[in-house]
Amino acid sequence: MRLKDKVAVVTGAAQGIGRATALAMGREGAKVVVADLQAEKAQSVANELQALGAQALAVEVNIANETSVKRMAKSTFERFSRADILVNVAGIYYPKASVVDLSEEDWDRTININVGGNFLCSREFVPAMRAQKSGRIISLASAIGHYGMRQFSHYAASKAAVMGFVKSLAREVGVDGITVNAICPGSANTAMPRQHRSEEEVMERLRATPLPHILEPEDIAGAILFLASDAAAFITGQSYNINSGTYMF
Amino acid sequence: MNQVAMITGGGGGIGGAVARRMAAGGITVVIADYDGSAAERVKDEIVASGGKADALAIDVTVAREVKAVVTDAVKRYGRIDVLANIAGGSAYTKRIEEFTWAQWKEVMDANLKGTFLMCREVAPLMQKQKSGRIMNTASNYGVTGSALRTPYAAAKAGIITFTKSLALELAPDLVLANTVAPGPTDTPRVMEKESAEARKQRWWPQIPLGRTALPPDIAEMYYFLTMPESAAITGQTFHVNGGVVMP
Repeated sequence: MRLKDKVAVVTGAAQGIGRATALAMGREGAKVVVADLQAEKAQSVANELQALGAQALAVEVNIANETSVKRMAKSTFERFSRADILVNVAGIYYPKASVVDLSEEDWDRTININVGGNFLCSREFVPAMRAQKSGRIISLASAIGHYGMRQFSHYAASKAAVMGFVKSLAREVGVDGITVNAICPGSANTAMPRQHRSEEEVMERLRATPLPHILEPEDIAGAILFLASDAAAFITGQSYNINSGTYMF
Repeated sequence: MNQVAMITGGGGGIGGAVARRMAAGGITVVIADYDGSAAERVKDEIVASGGKADALAIDVTVAREVKAVVTDAVKRYGRIDVLANIAGGSAYTKRIEEFTWAQWKEVMDANLKGTFLMCREVAPLMQKQKSGRIMNTASNYGVTGSALRTPYAAAKAGIITFTKSLALELAPDLVLANTVAPGPTDTPRVMEKESAEARKQRWWPQIPLGRTALPPDIAEMYYFLTMPESAAITGQTFHVNGGVVMP
């Protein structure tokens, strides 16, 4: 049990990588806050965790809303009295639009959720981690944050910003025993790429990696789990790529 | 099935910690080191605590020694699942005009050529097995460079890109190759040259986590790269450095 009695808050935990992370952490002994905009789905993941014998709390949250994030933190502390691990998975990908066609609203929405959400959630949990002189923050960035992507400039910019945020926060809180890192997944077998690609296209892309290994949410969760564990005590400010060899930064 | 790992530099600070960590995880470790008696000591320690280990002397820059050692390990164990190339080091700190050609080659060979020779010998076996994990060792200096260590920084940068190329070559056969880049680590070898106090004064203020690494901090990353949950990771560079470099 690598996370015995640790309290882990996972945003975007209702599906995909967030769900796989929540389940992996529960299996390793963590008490898990399953936070998501989709309350019903979050509850069903919490139920899955409880069926595994883990303590879990489902919380509805909009990570780009200050009040909502504060409420999530309050629920966490009320139920579990502490927070050891924050995993920022919640984020958006859509809409697909070239720069000249991208609306200001869509730009703002992507940046506010993908980067602003990281800021708001981290800001809420750092003080408790600082007080206990230990903590782990892991944020989901993306390989696209490194190499860019046509018609996803907003998403690419937001994910590069996550890496910049992670490095800066790592420098701020390292002295308090808190590590902050990013994971950059390649295209994984989740609902997200299916928002703008057919099933056939999605599977074709997933199979087109150098390594004949379809990237599953569990592959990403495994790396997140490692960074959350005591084994990663000396790792901070890093952005690790998990992508079946598609991209090597 | 019991995994078998070959660890070069396994008698040293980081290599020894990697051998101990892998052995504690149930992996049989073949500890190969230029200093055969250092390898023996790590082996004895592992065996005494219930692990499975073997020790031998090797000069990783000599192709026939590499071939002999790998052939012997395969005869003995039938397979090699993990290759951790940790042998290497910076050896000198001096200005470029003071480096002799022989010293330049010595540093390049100990780090880069040794890694190449080991991988060349073990990769075909792993390809046949349709599984294998290779971990090569760089340094944050392989990304940032380092004054007075030109050949070392060049060799470590070389290892990063060598490993990416190797990863692309071996991927179709499910053989993974990644680089671990340790930051400032308190190993017996560096502590011989610099006191704990001097290291503390020099390094700690520069490192966001406020301390230098101990070899077990680094060993955990190598161990993670042997696990089933790292099956989708290849061609990557993992910096373990307390935040001193964030590429």
